[in-house]
Amino acid sequence: MAKKTYDLLFKLLLIGDSGVGKTCVLFRFSDDAFNTTFISTIGIDFKIKTVELQGKKIKLQIWDTAGQERFHTITTSYYRGAMGIMLVYDITNGKSFENISKWLRNIDEHANEDVERMLLGNKCDMDDKRVVPKGKGEQIAREHGIRFFETSAKANINIEKAFLTLAEDILRKTPVKEPNSENVDISSGGGVTGWKSKCC
Amino acid sequence: MDQSVAIQETLAEGEYCVIAVQGVLCEGDSRQSRLLGLVRYRLEHGSQEHALFLYTHRRMAITGDDVSLDQIVPVSRDFTLEEVSPDGELYILGSDVTIQLDTAELSLVFQLPFGSQTRMFLHEVARACPGFDPTTRDPEFLWLSRYRCAEPELELPTPRGCNSAPGTWPGYATIGGGGSNFDGLRPNGKGLPVDQSSRGQDKPESLQPRQNKSKSEITGMVRSSTITVSDKAHILSMQKFGLRDTIVKSHLVQKEEDYTYIQNFRFFVGTYNVNGQSPKECLRPWLSDGVQAPDVYCVGFQELDLSKEAFFFHDTPKEEEWFKAVSEGLHPDAKYAKVKLIRLVGIMLLLYVKQEHAAYVSEVEAETVGTGIMGRMGNKGGVAIRFQFHNTSICVVNSHLAAHIEEYERRNQDYKDICSRMQFCQLDPSRPPLTISKHDVILWLGDLNYRIEELDVEKVKKLIEEKDFQTLYAYDQLKIQVAAKTVFEGFTEGELTFQPTYKYDTGSDDWDTSEKCRAPAWCDRILWKGKNITQLSYQSHMALKTSDHKPVSSVFNIGVRVVNDELYRKTLEEIVRSLDKMENANIPSVSLSKREFCFQNVKYMQLKVESFTIHNGQVPCHFEFINKPDEESYCKQWLNANPSRGFLLPDSDIEIELELFVNKTTATKLNSGEDKIEDILVLHLDRGKDYFLSVSGNYLPSCFGSPIHTLCYMREPILDLPLETISELTLMPIRTGDDGSQLESPMEIPKELWMMVDYLYRNAIQQEDLFQQPGLRSEFEHVRDCLDTGMIDNLSASNHSVAEALLLFLESLPEPVICYSAYHNCLECSGNYTASKQVISTLPTFYRNVFHYLMAFLQELLKNSAKNHLDENILASIFGSLLLRNPAGHQKLDMTEKKKAQEFIHQFLCNPL
Repeated sequence: MAKKTYDLLFKLLLIGDSGVGKTCVLFRFSDDAFNTTFISTIGIDFKIKTVELQGKKIKLQIWDTAGQERFHTITTSYYRGAMGIMLVYDITNGKSFENISKWLRNIDEHANEDVERMLLGNKCDMDDKRVVPKGKGEQIAREHGIRFFETSAKANINIEKAFLTLAEDILRKTPVKEPNSENVDISSGGGVTGWKSKCC
Repeated sequence: MDQSVAIQETLAEGEYCVIAVQGVLCEGDSRQSRLLGLVRYRLEHGSQEHALFLYTHRRMAITGDDVSLDQIVPVSRDFTLEEVSPDGELYILGSDVTIQLDTAELSLVFQLPFGSQTRMFLHEVARACPGFDPTTRDPEFLWLSRYRCAEPELELPTPRGCNSAPGTWPGYATIGGGGSNFDGLRPNGKGLPVDQSSRGQDKPESLQPRQNKSKSEITGMVRSSTITVSDKAHILSMQKFGLRDTIVKSHLVQKEEDYTYIQNFRFFVGTYNVNGQSPKECLRPWLSDGVQAPDVYCVGFQELDLSKEAFFFHDTPKEEEWFKAVSEGLHPDAKYAKVKLIRLVGIMLLLYVKQEHAAYVSEVEAETVGTGIMGRMGNKGGVAIRFQFHNTSICVVNSHLAAHIEEYERRNQDYKDICSRMQFCQLDPSRPPLTISKHDVILWLGDLNYRIEELDVEKVKKLIEEKDFQTLYAYDQLKIQVAAKTVFEGFTEGELTFQPTYKYDTGSDDWDTSEKCRAPAWCDRILWKGKNITQLSYQSHMALKTSDHKPVSSVFNIGVRVVNDELYRKTLEEIVRSLDKMENANIPSVSLSKREFCFQNVKYMQLKVESFTIHNGQVPCHFEFINKPDEESYCKQWLNANPSRGFLLPDSDIEIELELFVNKTTATKLNSGEDKIEDILVLHLDRGKDYFLSVSGNYLPSCFGSPIHTLCYMREPILDLPLETISELTLMPIRTGDDGSQLESPMEIPKELWMMVDYLYRNAIQQEDLFQQPGLRSEFEHVRDCLDTGMIDNLSASNHSVAEALLLFLESLPEPVICYSAYHNCLECSGNYTASKQVISTLPTFYRNVFHYLMAFLQELLKNSAKNHLDENILASIFGSLLLRNPAGHQKLDMTEKKKAQEFIHQFLCNPL
């Protein structure tokens, strides 16, 4: 019988410039809440959330990193072992978008080769202050062959979708490396034994 | 970070690191860090084996390069991992967990950090331990053969026929043996297992004794392999998956009403003692006439087959015959699916549901209990089917209890035996088996064989004729026994409105006319227990004449808990969310009173301390400053955190002091700008977050730590110079001669040296115990400031403090007065003054100048030895080790070298320069 409540554990990492809303994205996903006060993440934080995808219970362990430049050399050491990386920029902050290629290089240098990447243009609720057109985000994502979403942690746009899509992409290429034959889910019914002959 | 990732990188295909934990291996007084990885290997036939891999490692293993395999301990049958508490010590919540690992060959003690990672690790290891089921194969650990390095000769007994020492694992550093049979593991020179066929032959003989041994040891082993939980709080902090699963389930049970509703289903329950006959007539009058199509059919038979064959070989054609007859007799308005058929000799129970309900029937289990001959045989007893219908658990029992009027106590006993011995397996083998009583609904039918007592046959027949069943019922043994609470406690039976169903002449409705002339009795009964059950009918069916019994039926409306899928999903989601929330709340988290530390104007040998407070949240945790990648310590050399690791109870505080102290080792690079007062510390919480602490500030360059030649080029006080100039001059290489540099013409010796020597010459020439009394720390700081600012006129300090400053100055020189390159030459000619002078003359100009200057000063001091009590030996001893320093490092004080250095200086003190 099921010994674990989940079948798989995925480690995800949020990276991007300081102030683009990485912590808010995570907070929205994990707690379905939003906090307007900006507290810069000085370190590495993480939260978990259990989701169900294709009948598999998956525990997402999501690491939130400090975005400030002075911590970059340290934060890159946390890339190792991450199965998915969400690279976040702020659509109202051109600089944070310009730095995308630098972040992508960082991933190439420090993360596992097969890490699943995703680009998020956050704060898409603030269209009046937009400086990065959606097309530019789509373009750079296309160039690097990664998925792209515009999100808003504040207005709860695409947050859940982004995480689930990333998890699905990881699931898709996760070989059944650890087949859990004992993880048979029996909570849903339908196990009639001797179910063969029907009569009348 | 999860260190199993690092281990995984070192493993071969098919091997999987389930979990890793960092611990301390304790051997005697030695304490060594080890990474313990539980590695699983999946065998071809689907089973799996485990081994503990022990690694030495760098502090925080991130990649496979960080770990190296030290030892492998196969998780064999005699492997135990037990939590032990140190002798006589009270268990303290949050303290390290001491565990003892034992196999037949070795015993190791580890300390693992307190916390869920350790709990999870122990849990997983416990799960990995092979059980004691003798039917499963002993683990063989063939896959581990890969790890035996190709050591040339493996000293082992000959492969076969010889009971080799189990668990000898050649080639490993140390290998803890599992007590498995390793005969098949003999290396054939390449470290590969010998071919499988020969192995297969070996196995049975060698396996047998082991199993017997295991069996006899079971009780002891089970006890010792169980991880004792020392404290309840431990359980709470455990995040083991099984626990979480259990919580989800219990929450679902608690909240059942939120996502289920009661829906009535029609159950048909029938019982028929067929007296060994085959079906000769249609069963519809019993099963389907005059009722709506039931949702569920529970049909029981007794005395299906009275033949010896059925009794001894348990096989009878009657099963199929009656099954067919029942199937054909079911209500024609609906389609039914057979869920289960169970039979014990002549006692058979059939369960059908309407086809559309089949998807909601689950966890079907059937069992039998014989209570017949010798209390065990199947001529009497019961069979039962239990199942889950939607969210309600239902158990249907068909029993044939002991016969004969006087045997009512036997019948009571049979009932009790059936109740206690009827046990259904659960899908989760770790849970105890289910008994009949653990069901929401119990339907009990059968030939219970209770008779009518105290009335003679004629009286009974008369009452029946008058249809005075109520009077008759008063003499019914079952009624009497239930009233006396000796049987069927808690069960209900409907009113008997039909005449007794036993005993008739077969083929008729006439009472038994045989010799025995049995009194009529209500042998065939249906009872129930549970909530939301309404009996709609309870009757016998006189139309059926095949047997000496008449069949009985009852139809019930039973309220079953049906799941509303949408609400169920919502409830489950809520539970999962709340568990996630709990788990998130269980991640250690602290708050820091300060995260940025600025050390302004740091001076040489001036201790600066900044403190901050770690306030813990609600989860007990370990904290530690950890190394950044590619660094050997958690902070720069001039910094220290005190304490740098520790344990925090919930809601507690600890004050951490960051101590900054620049000494001779770190000063030069701070002067040159190669190093800065800048650092980031990583405060790590075990299985929790990391916090970054920034240290910044500026260092005030000082003559202390500056090279002699650099100081000679500084005509201005060092603090009056721009930082770039200081950096440039500090990085300037030592010149061997005056090479006409573009720089301002240098001084012959550093002015700071002159200032101190001149001060001493003027004030301390007659000072008693000069260089031997310690100075004052505060006065040293004053001297340092005067030298670095050039305010020499302000210098007012005790002679001893200035003398000490001079010694510290010489000690802080990155290149000693007698340059490292000349060190060995000096020692070699320490007995030869001419040669010694020759070596001195090869020193770079400024260094030679300084040496002569100091010697001249020391000779001056010696002229006053009557007053200052100094002699050549004292001074040679003090200055020998300062002026001559071993280039290989200052730590090793070789006495002969020290003596030679003294001799070398001594010559210059007693001879004219």
